[in-house]
Amino acid sequence: MNDFSASKAYFERAAKVIPGGIYGSKSPGFLVPGRFPYYLSRGAGSRIYDVDGNEFIDYLCGYGSQIVGYGNPAVDGPALEQARKGDLLNQPHPAMVELAERLVALVEGMDWAVFVKNGTDATTLATSIARADTGKQIIVAADGAYHGAANWCSTNVFPVFTQAEQRDIRFFPYNDIAALEARFAEERGKIACLILTPYHHPTYKPQQLPSPEFIQAAERLCRAEGAWFIVDDIRANFRLDARGSHVYFGAHPDLVTMGKALANGYPISVLMGSEKLRKTASSFFITGTYWMSAVPMIAALATLDEMERMGGTARLAQLGGMLREGLEKLGREAGFGARVSGPPAIPYLTFDEDPDLYLNQRFCAAMADRGVFMHPHHNWFISLAHTEDDIARTLEAARGAFSRLSP
Amino acid sequence: MKVNFAQLNQEEQRVMARLKATLALRLAEEAWRADPGLRAGSPARGVAMKIALGGAGPSIPLDIPASDSLGDTRGGSAPNSAPSSALSRRPALALYFPSAVAAMKVLSGAKGLAIPLPLGAGAFGALAFFRRASSRATEMLRDPATPGNIKARLLLAATLFGLEAIAGESYLARRMHIVPDGAVRVSVEEIEYFVVKNGNSIRVLRTVAGSSAPVHADAELSFSDCRSAIEVLSGARQAVIALGSGQVRIEGLLPLVQGLFAVLDRLSWYMGVEL
Repeated sequence: MNDFSASKAYFERAAKVIPGGIYGSKSPGFLVPGRFPYYLSRGAGSRIYDVDGNEFIDYLCGYGSQIVGYGNPAVDGPALEQARKGDLLNQPHPAMVELAERLVALVEGMDWAVFVKNGTDATTLATSIARADTGKQIIVAADGAYHGAANWCSTNVFPVFTQAEQRDIRFFPYNDIAALEARFAEERGKIACLILTPYHHPTYKPQQLPSPEFIQAAERLCRAEGAWFIVDDIRANFRLDARGSHVYFGAHPDLVTMGKALANGYPISVLMGSEKLRKTASSFFITGTYWMSAVPMIAALATLDEMERMGGTARLAQLGGMLREGLEKLGREAGFGARVSGPPAIPYLTFDEDPDLYLNQRFCAAMADRGVFMHPHHNWFISLAHTEDDIARTLEAARGAFSRLSP
Repeated sequence: MKVNFAQLNQEEQRVMARLKATLALRLAEEAWRADPGLRAGSPARGVAMKIALGGAGPSIPLDIPASDSLGDTRGGSAPNSAPSSALSRRPALALYFPSAVAAMKVLSGAKGLAIPLPLGAGAFGALAFFRRASSRATEMLRDPATPGNIKARLLLAATLFGLEAIAGESYLARRMHIVPDGAVRVSVEEIEYFVVKNGNSIRVLRTVAGSSAPVHADAELSFSDCRSAIEVLSGARQAVIALGSGQVRIEGLLPLVQGLFAVLDRLSWYMGVEL
């Protein structure tokens, strides 16, 4: 097992001055405490290094934000050059125009772009614009979907929020057409928008791809209701199809949010929309102190170039496919119903025989012992910095980890 | 923020009364398990009684076995794995509180109306035992000399049965809705409970040391030792910090445990309500 004494010492210090020590999804309790590092000091390519000096092949990729690798000079070079010249200026940098033009040309069906910082900013803005445009209140979303940490969509289900910001959110089981139809029937005339991730990636559960019929039903119901269809592509963007994950699944949204991989870890997200919503977006007061900072926009432009140079989504799918096939085969050989769900570039392993996740936790802890960072409760990410050698080493580690689980 | 009982809405007052009564009975039971002197002085026929709360849900039982039918109580092990809501025989006494405020007052040690209703032989022995055992539980919790395993047992019982008492509150309804159903095995050293969440209810099962688990544990929450349990359960150390530092370990269905942590936050809020 790795030594995490420096991580633990930082955590004890943090406990005195930061609520929970480390809050939110990075909390040690979300991993397997004691088997994963709490504090990281650097990353390079596909590797991360913790404050104790342990090295890991990383399959969390900064929760998806690293798509061309940590410290990629093709991105960091121009970004750092702009940082020296000035990042947050009074007025936008021309890179904002260039990035908007580039994205509008790239992302299918989208005619304008608004830049924000986090995924929550983008999804909140998307639903707000939908509400403002329709004059209707209700937002329909899938059970267990994550659309951010604002009060309207977070898991902070205190009554003060459920009776206010969460009051008009309605849920249905993902991929369940009858349930979605029922929701639309119950709330007829009141629905502002349907917000869906391009595929379902709930925490703690196998991922689900949408059926074509489900996508068609979603679009049909939105059109009939006069509600806008939002695809929240924050987590998956650029890993399935550079034109937007909605293209991968044959969907035709009115609004799309993207983030994470957009600038390889630099803080920027985007809300994009169709022509039909331009007027409402134009009349909306949209601002944030850091929302127009130049460095992330320059990083995003460089990331788009670098993704293409490194092989893009085809390469991600190839590497992810190798990992999936290898893990499932090794799992079967060890006597487990190990199943990798989700698209190849965003895999997640679960065990058919263990819905309670004990095996996930033990497997991922055993992988961490062997220098591979795979989250037991959150989907993983492939980056273009991963190599065939990384996958081979990962599978070798997995062979040992599965053997540790064997009864 | 400090809250007074009078500031609570009607439902909260009912929940508070129910919580107070539950804790009084369960702590009396744990004191009986932990203290040989208390066991020796308990009625030979045992104690079967209940607290009835006017307008605050079903009555809450206390069932102490007869001295000649004691199970293994070494180390404070429980004599059964029955849920706390079950009485194995007809109660000798109902201690009736006509209102939530009466229960809150009396069970907080202030003056208030409590009506003992004898239902059979041994009623007054039961009442005397309840008073003595409640008072002994409070002493043991406060006394720094109380052994760690006993203090941990008392705090664990108070916490888990506290969750059971408040789980149905409407405040928690949405939270309970999104938490998956299942059972959590909670343990520290030789002490073990199962907390079963089903819909908007929580049921706590004790287990006999060394016996088989009464239900499948979808998740496990274990304290590294009694000292850690006392620190966390007394509020001296946050559970999330204890998790990170290895004093608490959770395995299995994390959303179930995390959901119960949220109920625990509500319990802490109730524990801070003053008369």
